[in-house]
Amino acid sequence: MGSMIAARDSSSRRKNYTQIILYGILICFLLFIPLFFQSPYVLHLFILTLVYIIAAASMRFIMTSGQIPLAHAAFLGLGAYVSAVLSKHVGLSPWLSLFIAAFVAMGVGIFISFPFARLKAFYYAMVSLFFGVGLLQAIESLGKLTGGLAGITAIPTLFNTASKVPYYYCFLALTLVSLVILYRFEVSRIGWNLKAIDQSYLVSSSVGISEVKYRVLAVAIGCFFVGLAGGMYANYNVTLSPSSFDSSVTLWMIIYVTIGGMNNFSGPIIGTAVLFLIPQYFSGLKQYAPFISAAILFLVIFMFRNGLVSIPGLLMAFYKRKKSTSKSR
Amino acid sequence: MILEINGLTKNFGGLTAVSGIDIKVNDGEVLGLIGPNGAGKSTFFNLITGVIPPTKGKIIFKGKDITGKRPHEIAELGIGRTFQLNPLFPNFTVLQNVISSFQIRPCSNWLDTFFNTPVYRKNEAYILEQSLEILNLVGLYKVKDELAKNQPHGYQKMLGVARALAIKPSLLLLDEPIAGMNPDEIDNTIEAIKRTSQRGVTIILVEHNMKILEICNRVVVINFGQKIVEGSPQEIKENPEVIRAYLGSGHDTKH
Amino acid sequence: MAESTILLIVATIVNALVLSSMYILLALGFTFLFNIMGILNFAHGVIYMIGAYICFYMATVVGINQWLALLISVAVVGLFGIFMERFIFRPFFGNINSIIVVCIGLITVLVNAVAISQPYNVQVTPAFVQGILKVGIVSLSWQRIVFFLIGVSLLILVLLFINKTKQGLQMRAVAQDLEGAILQGINVHFVSALACVIACALAATAGSLMGSYLSLTPYMGNDIMIKVLEILVLGGIGSINGVLFAGLIVGTLDAVLPIWLSGTATQAIMMLIIIVILLFKPQGLFGKEVRA
Repeated sequence: MGSMIAARDSSSRRKNYTQIILYGILICFLLFIPLFFQSPYVLHLFILTLVYIIAAASMRFIMTSGQIPLAHAAFLGLGAYVSAVLSKHVGLSPWLSLFIAAFVAMGVGIFISFPFARLKAFYYAMVSLFFGVGLLQAIESLGKLTGGLAGITAIPTLFNTASKVPYYYCFLALTLVSLVILYRFEVSRIGWNLKAIDQSYLVSSSVGISEVKYRVLAVAIGCFFVGLAGGMYANYNVTLSPSSFDSSVTLWMIIYVTIGGMNNFSGPIIGTAVLFLIPQYFSGLKQYAPFISAAILFLVIFMFRNGLVSIPGLLMAFYKRKKSTSKSR
Repeated sequence: MILEINGLTKNFGGLTAVSGIDIKVNDGEVLGLIGPNGAGKSTFFNLITGVIPPTKGKIIFKGKDITGKRPHEIAELGIGRTFQLNPLFPNFTVLQNVISSFQIRPCSNWLDTFFNTPVYRKNEAYILEQSLEILNLVGLYKVKDELAKNQPHGYQKMLGVARALAIKPSLLLLDEPIAGMNPDEIDNTIEAIKRTSQRGVTIILVEHNMKILEICNRVVVINFGQKIVEGSPQEIKENPEVIRAYLGSGHDTKH
Repeated sequence: MAESTILLIVATIVNALVLSSMYILLALGFTFLFNIMGILNFAHGVIYMIGAYICFYMATVVGINQWLALLISVAVVGLFGIFMERFIFRPFFGNINSIIVVCIGLITVLVNAVAISQPYNVQVTPAFVQGILKVGIVSLSWQRIVFFLIGVSLLILVLLFINKTKQGLQMRAVAQDLEGAILQGINVHFVSALACVIACALAATAGSLMGSYLSLTPYMGNDIMIKVLEILVLGGIGSINGVLFAGLIVGTLDAVLPIWLSGTATQAIMMLIIIVILLFKPQGLFGKEVRA
């Protein structure tokens, strides 16, 4: 929010400009990806990464209020299945069903988070994990609508071409818009209130911050975007299978967020890129990708407590210390 | 009369923490609440601010029954408080702690907040200005950009007071505001409390330290969850029952 | 009543009891870790799976008697528990995100290693106990009876340990107030390691037995953790009474519902029942008041 940002000192404002410039360079690079990487498989990986980035960023947004939404992949699946069913069985345009899916996910999120908004972190984590499993079971059991364990096929697509390029640019745009919106929430008073609730329930309630109101709001926003990501995935991938949305996917999203850096907005973006895209891209045999991810995971968690995002900061501090000790000689 | 408490009782399982307390608090006064440890003073505050629900009794604030309301609702109605163990927002700076506490007046709605409209920006600028003023009042202006968790104990307590003032309360509950402070800090705090009272804020203080009683208009003594005696600071200091409660029998009145 | 109905009822009851006891063993171990170390051990299912596979390997490839294989599995996994406490839980004590991360890392490595190294996706450990008991018209396999008895005895042993021994008392002290326990001179690291060993041993036992009762797959850990999750959420995380009570309910539903409903419908109905209960009691049946 305006006052909180103004309250920062000048060095952190300089850091902000650096971040904006880095983002600008990154976006330019991303715009040229389809030229550098012609292979449809690689484009497919990038597209999946974008979907997971939205999911991870929205998950982190919920986590800023101190709750760990372990049902997030199930909501991704909810968005995917709702969009698939609406566009395939009901005949709506995939673009429309995409956004309806986001609102459905948001609605379900609000409904289910209301009774549990006051639970402490551990309990909320377990209950949401349980709910995620339950949601997926519910989806699987509606066999006629959702194809049960086998999944849905022949979902109408967003674009009529076989090429992945329009999907890449479209998803890139949607991802950027989603990230901007999430960022805007986070730096506004709403975002700071969520962080306040996380730090102290007693203090935040004593100044008038309603824990339930803000936590449900966080879940609503987070679920909206993950539902959107799910719909995007469904209308791109043409097929859906429930195993793509089980609890292990949620737990991997936690890893993307934590390894990337929980305390920084860019954390989930970096985490997803490093832990999803890179292992998939560099693994000769797909079955070794998990081991690469696990290796990166252990390396980072034992060495960099604040995530990958903190590495540049650590390097700068190290470099500054070296410079000052060499100067004093 | 700004606050009226009738028959307030709280049982925790077998333990009665607060039993049948009746208190009337007048507009603009500074009321002291003293009693030995375990007398039920913090529970009393928690009951008023809705952190725990009472077993029996009514709490009436400015004519409205607020018994059983949630803490944030009570804050919105104009009751602010500090805490004995003084939790803060540890990862925010001192200034950010105070800014975060401006939730009620002014309050931007979600649309304005998200779209960063001129209304929102005006509110935030006003909040920033008010926050700096409060920090000045409590003497924390020079550490405004330091992290709250790194501050010494005395400063953290003052920050607690600053935070409570941000909601522009009509009634301020201070839970042991000078506990653990050195004499300079105590003087500063007493000054700040006096100035706040001059602005028309009704204050209820919980304390052990007899020195702070000097600024109270009235003192209520609590022990074992019950009101024992009530009167002016001078009367209380010389009351034999009070002395017995604090020091045990067999002591005289001179410190 | 028709003969077949009686047989069905008895078979179902026994099945329910066996399943309940196995689930309870796992849920109990998990609850220990939560109460004493404040850890949500997401890797518990994988420990169970590893216990099952070690027993299987010992019994088939190495050719030892199954009971001996079981003991070896318990020993190995128990030792692994000490390793886990020291290197996985202790460094990240209190940080739930990091715990999730390392548990997932562990799960990924172990599940994929097992999946890649095993020739078949589904295997079965040879039966521990042969033979059938005939009582009147009812015939039960001895294995089921023995498994149930083992489950109940272990449960009683563990509860006795917690309530009657000095170490059990120390564990309860740490569970209630960590700082107070440290000040009392209780070696918290030892207590935590002990809790880990017990939890892992229970998981390994359940895994080894279930490897024969049902079957082995690299993903059996994930499947059973769903059941354990249901028990914990229904009973209230951290409550031993909750584990016992909810374990019985979940085991029974698991045995009874499939008679009338299909597999996925059973799961969905159970989830629904639990969610409805949670809407009224978000902290579970016996859970502590957990409002922030």
